[in-house]
Amino acid sequence: MITFTLNGRVVETDAPATVRLLDLIRDDFELIGTKEGCGEGECGACSVFVNNLVQNSCLIPIGSIAGANIQTIEGIIETEQFKILDESYSVAGGVQCGYCIPGMIMASAALLSKNPHPSETEIREGISGNLCRCTGYNMIVDAINLAAQKGDGIWQKK
Amino acid sequence: MAEKVTAYRFDRIDETLSQLNREDCAIIAGGTDVMVLHKSRRGVPPKFSKPIVFIDHLSELKQVYQTDKDLHIGACCTYTELLEHPLIPTPIKSAIKTIAAPAIRNRGTVGGNICNASPAGDMLPLLYVYNAKVLLRSVNGDRFVAISDFIQGPRRIQRLHNEIVTEIILPSVLEEGTHVIFEKVGNRNADAIAKVSFAGFMRINKERIEDIRFAFGAVGPTMIRSREIEKKLVGKTLPLADAEIDTIVAEFDKIIRPIDDQRSTAVYRKTVALNLLRYFLSLKQ
Ligand SMILES: Cc1cc2nc3c(=O)[nH]c(=O)nc-3n(C[C@H](O)[C@H](O)[C@H](O)COP(=O)(O)OP(=O)(O)OC[C@H]3O[C@@H](n4cnc5c(N)ncnc54)[C@H](O)[C@@H]3O)c2cc1C
Ligand code: FES
Ligand code: FES
Repeated sequence: MITFTLNGRVVETDAPATVRLLDLIRDDFELIGTKEGCGEGECGACSVFVNNLVQNSCLIPIGSIAGANIQTIEGIIETEQFKILDESYSVAGGVQCGYCIPGMIMASAALLSKNPHPSETEIREGISGNLCRCTGYNMIVDAINLAAQKGDGIWQKK
Repeated sequence: MAEKVTAYRFDRIDETLSQLNREDCAIIAGGTDVMVLHKSRRGVPPKFSKPIVFIDHLSELKQVYQTDKDLHIGACCTYTELLEHPLIPTPIKSAIKTIAAPAIRNRGTVGGNICNASPAGDMLPLLYVYNAKVLLRSVNGDRFVAISDFIQGPRRIQRLHNEIVTEIILPSVLEEGTHVIFEKVGNRNADAIAKVSFAGFMRINKERIEDIRFAFGAVGPTMIRSREIEKKLVGKTLPLADAEIDTIVAEFDKIIRPIDDQRSTAVYRKTVALNLLRYFLSLKQ
């Protein structure tokens, strides 16, 4: 049995330790906001927070997260931070097909909570592990910039 | 339904070592290399032919501390942890910043980078020029191996199946008066695997070179370093004459044999490597 916290709730699973966290949260817990793109750590579609750090759930065998605090996009949807990001992404036109967006939002939230006023270079670095095939990234950079301005003061609190 | 696998995650390092002594296991630290290497079809867990042992939660493997002028780095420190640690030298932090993206740096470990022994491993050129030592621990005790002996080829390391790499030690790294650089040529973003990388180390005393070391990554099966060529520069005065630089570059030209692959060509790699060396030797300290 592996026990961990998922979106604030303590959960258990008897799935084998090699199962990827991505498959567990999508198939067993039916949290399908987290996407699979490449399955190799290169696209960021599967991004989740592990103990508040953004990581690729396609590379995480569940045996290694016993006792950890996992948050998926569904787990942050009620936060003020999410609302500001969501709004900023729509205003800036940062969403097209939407496939990369849950991962982008996780990476954006991770960046802003470490660095509430990032430069453009820092924003690009912050989302460098997230591929988007539609937007060409500029609108996403604008969205994060906007979220930094609008959300002034809210990023530091957890 | 996924196959059953045996997986261990002990609270203590001694229990982990006892298990490794009983059976050969696949060690998983951050898993960023292992999970890609053993990847299966979508939805099917990666396949391992051996039992698995997780180690990246062991606190003994996550420490960074100083003894005299030596720096000890726990094998399971993640890149992010090292970036945030005050004792880690700036050149190492610069190298880490070129590795992948934040999500990988939050998981990948320095021990994993060494044990994966990729010709393009970004920690390796600097560890070679720092004369790093790898500390291996088993139920029989500790042993130290120089990084250049530990890494034997792509994915080949000098580790016995009952051993764990516990620390990487950088001798005298906290001494004053050394000048160290790291340069990497590659793409940016998640696919940042080096086409060529270079680390240079120089200790000078009033213009005179007292110690000089340089290593190249991604231009051969392991890091390329030549102590013979380095020795020829000890005792010389800076700035080096153009003719001296030309001689050294020409000697290196003979020993690097890069290959063509999907990331780059041999000719490009060699040209860049020699330019990086020339740049390092012409630096005005
Ligand atoms: C998208 C992506 C981008 C990447 N970009 C880069 C890059 O730019 N530069 C770069 O250098 N690498 C890169 N990597 C490779 C990888 O992230 C690094 O090599 C990382 O340091 C591996 O560490 P880990 O803890 O995840 O290793 P793991 O996958 O856990 O282990 C790697 C190997 O080392 C062994 N091992 C690990 N720790 C120990 C130990 N303490 N004792 C004994 N054996 C051990 C394991 O058994 C395994 O064989 C990238 C990987 C991905 C997926
Ligand atoms: S699916 Fe995990 S990074 Fe692409
Ligand atoms: S909006 Fe389509 S992949 Fe990013």
